[in-house]
Amino acid sequence: MERAVLLTGIGGQGVQLAARTLAVAAVQSDLEVMVFGSYAGLMRGGNTDATIIIGDAPLRSPPTVAWAQAALVMHHEYWSGVRDRLVPGSVVVVDRSVFKGEMGWAGGTAVEIEATGVATEMGNGRGGAMVALGALAAASGLVDLDHLQAAAHEVLPSYRAEHAKANADALAAGFALVADPVALVWLAPARAQ
Amino acid sequence: MTPRLLQGSGAIADAAILAGCRFFTGYPMLPFTELLEEMARKLPAAGGVCINAQSEIEAVNMALGAAATGARAATGSCGQGISLMQEGIAELALNQLPLVVFNMARGQQDYFQSTRGGGWGDYRTITLAPKDIPEAVAHTQLLFHLADRYRTPVILYGDYVIAHTSVGIEIEALDFGPLPPKDDWALDGTMSGTGRARQTWTWARGKPNTPGPGPSAAWESIAEKYAAIERSEQRFETYRSEDADILVVSFGTTSVFVDRVVDELREEGLAVGSFRPITLWPFPAEGLAEATHGCAHVLVYELNAGQMVDDVRMYAADRSVIRSIGGVSQDDSGMRQGDLLNADEVRQRVRQAVATPASARQ
Repeated sequence: MERAVLLTGIGGQGVQLAARTLAVAAVQSDLEVMVFGSYAGLMRGGNTDATIIIGDAPLRSPPTVAWAQAALVMHHEYWSGVRDRLVPGSVVVVDRSVFKGEMGWAGGTAVEIEATGVATEMGNGRGGAMVALGALAAASGLVDLDHLQAAAHEVLPSYRAEHAKANADALAAGFALVADPVALVWLAPARAQ
Repeated sequence: MTPRLLQGSGAIADAAILAGCRFFTGYPMLPFTELLEEMARKLPAAGGVCINAQSEIEAVNMALGAAATGARAATGSCGQGISLMQEGIAELALNQLPLVVFNMARGQQDYFQSTRGGGWGDYRTITLAPKDIPEAVAHTQLLFHLADRYRTPVILYGDYVIAHTSVGIEIEALDFGPLPPKDDWALDGTMSGTGRARQTWTWARGKPNTPGPGPSAAWESIAEKYAAIERSEQRFETYRSEDADILVVSFGTTSVFVDRVVDELREEGLAVGSFRPITLWPFPAEGLAEATHGCAHVLVYELNAGQMVDDVRMYAADRSVIRSIGGVSQDDSGMRQGDLLNADEVRQRVRQAVATPASARQ
């Protein structure tokens, strides 16, 4: 079984780091993982996306997909491209601190949280994606918090290691925002058709 | 061993070092840049040398020098930079020196460059086109073996997708068997400018006391080597092709999208299969002829204006059923394939081609 998670935002929000953190946590959970990040030269302010394929057997999926079962949305600007690929029953975590306007989506469960606001209150203003990722893990049942927090330490280079604990704390804060899984990714259909 | 999450560039670097690569040089150019960075980070710790050259021309000639000493050496770029390396690659072939060249291409428009070459002389470059990162890791190791075995430059045809995708992977050393010793040709500096000094090439004339075969005989010998490679090194993969009426031919990462579509169209009842040349050169001629035998449609999906289709036309069982259904496709960034690297697009084009009457075909 293979399932896809889409992450979107703008450069500088930590989308690529969140994608890598989720992927490492999945690897450490004995799952098969593939991550395709798209950011080209747009380090700040432009579109940044990632696709993560997770499976319980060697993956056959291409690295980019037409259908996904979960999403992490850090900005409204590029939401429509994600929305159109979500199958019925998907789960989406939205950072309402940044996302403006209506989502215009009723295909599944939207978990709307003040991710960047929570991170800022914790003194980790750039940790919004980590809060959102914690919430997505809790809502989707993809990986557990222990693996996510361990991954938060592994994904940072040594010269950024001092931020690992703050990110691990942000993951825990996001995880705590969701009491129970609301839409298990493994139960969502593979395709919409 | 627990798998590690590695980006394709990092996995290829690990594989190259595991294969014994100890000299690497290149000039940054996306999506090759990350491979150069990974080698710069990892190679010194393995006792090797990685140099950020001032140009691709400098890089390939540095690599030529390292290869001439018998070191396992490699260089790379994307297709644009490899254009600049053509003279050096031709000289490596002429001098019969092993070198691995990584083309982390920006698309699929370098098929001719890889399989026909742009340098002078009668040479070819063995080219492996992996479909994903695990295969790129295996191909990297195999290419170092083939380069040494045949003393020739070889190419890994990667791309942005392989360079930038990350997977959980364990990298293990592969054993391809024994290789001939290098001590009868590698320049080791122990013999200076006397009549016994070694030469790699001076029109194969040799020296007064040790005359060589001459240029014509040398080229004939090299030609025989490439003919032997063509006979013995063809590699390919088929997928659900045994009973296929429709065969989609593609190479590299595009094939992963094609195989996904093959599964989907099979569910709809279409007898579809796929064929993938793993070696772009030598092209798997016999494999394609066999796989296309009896097919009503042979559809070539490549993201260029039509390059591999030339080889398909040469070797397919029936040329009249061949059709190009791919096309030029470049992302706005210019760094990678565009919208045609997409399963929906493949599916739609296969359906459309199959529905088109034979009389309306190109």
